[in-house]
Amino acid sequence: MKDISKSINKVDNEEKISGSAEYIADIKMDGMLYAMTLRSSIVKGEIIKISYPKIPDNYYVIDHKDVQGKNIVKIIYDDMPIFTTKKISYLHEPIALVIGPEKEKIVEILDSIEIKYKEEEPQFEWEDSVVDFHFDKGEGERVFDHADKVISYDYETGYQEQAYIETQGFIGYQDGDKTTLIGSIQCPYYVKNALIQALDSEPENVRVIQSTVGGAFGGKEEFPSLIGCQLAVAVKKIKKPIQLIYEREEDMLVTTKRHPAKIHFDAAIKENKIKGIKAHVGIDGGATIGLSGVVLSRAMLACSGAYTIDNLDITGDVYKTNTVPNGAFRGFGAPQMMFAIEMFVEHIAKDLNIDPLEFRKSILAKQNDHTSTNGVYRDPILMPEMIEKAMKESDYLRKKKAYANPNIFKGIGMSFFFHGCGFTGSGEKKIIKARVRLRKHKNNKAEILIAAVDMGQGVKTTFRKLVANILEIDIENVIFNNPDTDYVPDSGPTVASRTMMIVGGLVARAAKEMKQRWREDEFVVEKQYKQPDYIKYDEENFIGDAYPAYSWGVNVVEVEVSKTTYQVKLVKTWSVYDGGKAIDEKVVLGQADGGLAQGVGYGYLEVMNHKQGKIQQKNMTDYIIPTAKDMPDMETYLYDNPYAFGPYGAKGVGELTLVGGAPAVAKAIENAINKRIYKIPVTPEYIMELINNAKN
Amino acid sequence: MVDGLIAKSLNEALEALDNKEYQIVAGGTDMLIQNRSHSGMNIDYKKDVLYINLIDELDFIKVDEKNLYIGANTRLETILESKLVPQILRDVVIEMASPGIRHTATLAGNIGNASPAGDSLVVLYLLDCELEIKSLTKTRKVLLKDFITGVRKIALNKNELITKLIIPKINLTDCYFHKVGPRLSDAISKLSFACGYSVENSIIKDLRVAFGAVYVTVVRSREVEGKFIGQSVNDLKANLDDIINAYEPLIKPIDDQRSNRVYRKNVAINLLREFIENIKED
Repeated sequence: MKDISKSINKVDNEEKISGSAEYIADIKMDGMLYAMTLRSSIVKGEIIKISYPKIPDNYYVIDHKDVQGKNIVKIIYDDMPIFTTKKISYLHEPIALVIGPEKEKIVEILDSIEIKYKEEEPQFEWEDSVVDFHFDKGEGERVFDHADKVISYDYETGYQEQAYIETQGFIGYQDGDKTTLIGSIQCPYYVKNALIQALDSEPENVRVIQSTVGGAFGGKEEFPSLIGCQLAVAVKKIKKPIQLIYEREEDMLVTTKRHPAKIHFDAAIKENKIKGIKAHVGIDGGATIGLSGVVLSRAMLACSGAYTIDNLDITGDVYKTNTVPNGAFRGFGAPQMMFAIEMFVEHIAKDLNIDPLEFRKSILAKQNDHTSTNGVYRDPILMPEMIEKAMKESDYLRKKKAYANPNIFKGIGMSFFFHGCGFTGSGEKKIIKARVRLRKHKNNKAEILIAAVDMGQGVKTTFRKLVANILEIDIENVIFNNPDTDYVPDSGPTVASRTMMIVGGLVARAAKEMKQRWREDEFVVEKQYKQPDYIKYDEENFIGDAYPAYSWGVNVVEVEVSKTTYQVKLVKTWSVYDGGKAIDEKVVLGQADGGLAQGVGYGYLEVMNHKQGKIQQKNMTDYIIPTAKDMPDMETYLYDNPYAFGPYGAKGVGELTLVGGAPAVAKAIENAINKRIYKIPVTPEYIMELINNAKN
Repeated sequence: MVDGLIAKSLNEALEALDNKEYQIVAGGTDMLIQNRSHSGMNIDYKKDVLYINLIDELDFIKVDEKNLYIGANTRLETILESKLVPQILRDVVIEMASPGIRHTATLAGNIGNASPAGDSLVVLYLLDCELEIKSLTKTRKVLLKDFITGVRKIALNKNELITKLIIPKINLTDCYFHKVGPRLSDAISKLSFACGYSVENSIIKDLRVAFGAVYVTVVRSREVEGKFIGQSVNDLKANLDDIINAYEPLIKPIDDQRSNRVYRKNVAINLLREFIENIKED
């Protein structure tokens, strides 16, 4: 049998390269109106009075009074209003939609609306904790009682913007009692469930269809539910097709971003070994909690990185501030922690005068070791051979030694990391309960009916290939249309590196059953997720297997730093990943290149900050992501390490490829400038400060 | 609503300008962004617009014994391709603009926009660029450094149009442009730097330094340069601290969303130091 990993052409190549793919802005409907958002001009306070101008015929203002259901966006934590009633908790908070046939007129109406506010003092300090978690492993804090010494450091990470090419957008229309939205989204059923609650509609009267998605990176996980609810409320009332698409600046100013984090570590050291780690993780949730608690828990679960630490005492807080709400972003808490723990372990070794590489290798997690929450790494871990491969290909040892010379300003850095695949904890079992369907048509075609979204990552290619391979038919005979909630079951959101491992696993099971019944004319196979019995997790106390499987990786980054301008130039990267089994090698390599670019960008380039609650980098001119010229040659090696419940052994790869980039580039810069790095992004401005002021 | 006029000839443009006030648009790569509105809406021009992009007679590159002349309508791409244009100016074109921009943007437009971060301005200051400015009744010449009076402020009368750039031919031993951007392409400078010198018999005959994005306009001081012209290369290098001290008060950058003043100042000085240290004695 031929190896499934062997690449085929991505099925969406042609429509995307030719420009024929239909994105949300390409869809025009008869009599379509446009919607724009009225937003607060203050950061915190209350609306006293809104004075609207005379609204002409066929123009509408839709606000909280029009919400027939609950004025809350159904996410994980119910604290985001669809439209504010009067309380303002961040700058540009949505107040109403202004809708009509001419954009010029809408802008004119928006400009002449007067709002009187009562302003209050905004909170930007991280003081108001709204979620707090704690867990111990082993002896927890008690291990510090008999430590020889304690090593402590603080690490900081900044905002990151998803910077998808296509901004947020929906078109909605009403047909009788039925409200339909077409949108650029990752999670059709998140939007549908939010709409049911907002409209107080019956499920059969709400339909959500995914249009071609021009990138998402987590930014279209929960945020679309907010604007989807706003638009659906308007559509149901006005009963005309309406388009709501964000301009780039609006998108960057108001949509969710990666949570900035501050991580404090204490390590209990005895006989030059880490006996235990105490950590506090603080993340800035922004003005609403939303997914922040789940992001915090993923960060905390990753606290020992790719290592095994026997004794842990881990606490974390989500702080509420009067800033734009933060939310899902590829990696989901792990990139913050993976940077911090990788730097911390390196810095401990340096403080102990032990070779960092040997020190790190000596504490690498091994099969059957216990995870941070006393779960078990049940599957083989290939890290030692993956590290050896990365070192050999990059000539790591020789370069590391040569670059120790402080005058040559070159550096090489290597990160070890993992990513837990699928939803954290019992999420898959208790919340998502994924269902997939496979339909055999009379003409011997098979149709995949799932809610998974191709946002560029290749789901349409890999799923069709997966089914075609199992059924032993041509990929042309496998149909996979964009999800439409009227036709596909809820296979869960397209997030958390779960799509191929979990949804693909179910689809593969359905396809195997279909293969046996292939002679039948027409039939449907449905499968529902069952957690492997051995996976047990206590959500409340953080005990057990937080993930069913783990993907692993090694990134090596080589850099040069300019002595004159402190700019960093990437010279080359080498990566080794264990994603179980690639369903399509080129698709995984696509994730590898894109993920690493986004990961190193997070580490050295992408600056975003707010000033008094206002995001300063509001367009792609000022928010700097790496271009093709900034990214060097990237070498990637994939290791097979099949996971029993993934299709052909596949695990998650979408997020894995991002989480190691920042620590690898930070370590490379540390090597080049001979100064310790404690925060990302490692900008030229920060490098200058370190070179001019910091001790070695 | 604003009016738009697409001039086909210089005369038509000058006549129009004589009649009423216009926003002049050449390539439009700055104007379109500064006046952008929502997608699907018209460009949000605040004034009537005079498009000069079709005036062929302003699209040229010429030389005589003394000068290089670049038309106000000459595209950056044409400048990049031209062997008549000094290398340092072609270098700045490739650093400052992506292919799409290069095929529509002009140097005169970059000058008219007068952004403190305008990359080409740094090199044009270094080269003592002069402008020819026309109105229906008058032609005048002005040095670029006198033409740009502040952030987005230029000394152009309502009835006038920049028609050409006049760049004196000079003979420098070496000169270069250094852009300090946040990444390697498609980015606005945090600061930029241009420099040049000529040496004869180990004596500095010409010395030029210009800094961009460290003050409201490009910083170039003939007074400071003059103090060190005539020195031997060795003396010049020995006087490095004096040179730095002379420029130090002229470099007054700001904090913004792209960088901060400490970095800009520090790097500007580093670039100056690197330039002086690398001057060769013939």
